[in-house]
Amino acid sequence: MASLNQCLASLARLNMSAPARPAISSSTIPKFLLPSAAPLARYASGGGGMRKRPAKKKKVYKTFRSYDMAPMEQFSLCDAMRYIRAVEVGQPPASVKYEVAIKIRTHKSGPVIRNRIRLPFPVKTDTRIGVICPEDSPLMVEAQHLGAVAVGQESLFESIRQGNIPFNKLICHVDSQDALKKANLGKILGPKGLMPSAKTKTLTTDIKATVQELIGADEYRERDGVVRMAVGQLGFTPKMLSDNVKTMMNLLKQDVNNAEETHPKTIDEVVLSSTHGPGFSLDGTFDPRDGKIKAEDLQSAM
Amino acid sequence: MVGVIRRLNVLKSQLVGVRVGPGAAVLPQDVTRIHMEFAHKINGGHMGPRKFWRDVLPRLKYWNPAVPMVVNRSTDQEGPAKMVLYFREPGATLKTDAPQPSSSAEGLAKAPKPAEGERVVTIDMKNRHSDAILQEFMTKSGAVLVVPTAQDEAELLAAKDLEEKGTADRVRIKQLNDAARREKALIAQAHSEAAAIKASM
Repeated sequence: MASLNQCLASLARLNMSAPARPAISSSTIPKFLLPSAAPLARYASGGGGMRKRPAKKKKVYKTFRSYDMAPMEQFSLCDAMRYIRAVEVGQPPASVKYEVAIKIRTHKSGPVIRNRIRLPFPVKTDTRIGVICPEDSPLMVEAQHLGAVAVGQESLFESIRQGNIPFNKLICHVDSQDALKKANLGKILGPKGLMPSAKTKTLTTDIKATVQELIGADEYRERDGVVRMAVGQLGFTPKMLSDNVKTMMNLLKQDVNNAEETHPKTIDEVVLSSTHGPGFSLDGTFDPRDGKIKAEDLQSAM
Repeated sequence: MVGVIRRLNVLKSQLVGVRVGPGAAVLPQDVTRIHMEFAHKINGGHMGPRKFWRDVLPRLKYWNPAVPMVVNRSTDQEGPAKMVLYFREPGATLKTDAPQPSSSAEGLAKAPKPAEGERVVTIDMKNRHSDAILQEFMTKSGAVLVVPTAQDEAELLAAKDLEEKGTADRVRIKQLNDAARREKALIAQAHSEAAAIKASM
């Protein structure tokens, strides 16, 4: 760097001392290669040319940015659903999801909202549960009633060994714990994350409670001041979606109210969108504003 | 989250595109359901039906939210591309629990047989442009075009205006960025040349 400056400076001096000063065509030579082409007057002498100003201190905000919501157009749930159903027409209804994003006015640091929720109409329907419990016990009947796809002890172990695994969640009753240990299934179940253990709360004394917790329970958490969660499938009726959103909002309001006083939180905005659709800011109402459309019109097969 | 105004601009232009344009039409009361079948990709004459589904069907669905519109896409490019319109026979009342498949991307939603008191009209879509398909659809279904309101027209204009401004801005910013990049490259070259001179001395 220094060498370049020296080099350029000497170049500039040469240029100045030339008797017949050639006109410098500054259009052909970039300015930075020929400092002499720039005005030579230096006002702050002794300062060593351009002095660097200290970098402007960037303002640090303690909270996430929140916006004035006045210009935002807001929609009733049915209006938003009408648009979303139009945009998503022809998509397989089980794979397209309704999602909500809830903007929260909150500090950037401090605790975040995090909770589990059981929606009245679960979004994920592919939870298939296997239950390990003593054969021919009342537990087995109970598990079957709860909708377990595979129930049993030795028979279940044998089918797992043969690679027949029809479930994606596996729980084990405490009574079968020893049998499970003897069965040596860790090699098969471990890599799949299916091995029951107390740590994952899949080793249980109450099969009913565990199964119900596993089916349809969803976790949500606040990231960058926004809570996002899938709240429905495209095939849901407006009533179903409304119930899900209301349940979600009630729980979230509790979370917000329970936030620490040093880090207060408030809800700014609720946005409904879908897998391929745009986001609609909701105003909390249900009925469509267009009088010709009824909520029942929005539950036809997709 | 993205700022309010930016989101609103995008949303408004997208929504006016759903309300206004080809396919914005109200179907007569006796159209009970619509079924489309075509392949995932465009080869084999499936471009028209695909475009129809992508561009036109959302507007039809917006204006006729109660009419089931089922799309069955399959991976068989040699397969058929056809649309089936189901009409209620005059005076007939249909059972509400008639089996109705939902859209499928794996070719599982075959067109159901017409229920009692229903008749079908078929449109062959293979090797045809989506505009031609729409034209035939309009005559065969008897759909009535929706006239855009003054507000829709204004929003459409505003969206177009915004897009033009955006294009102009993109050109301007690209020029600025290119100039900055060029200058940076020149400085880097000068530096490397100076270093070479110093090394040779």
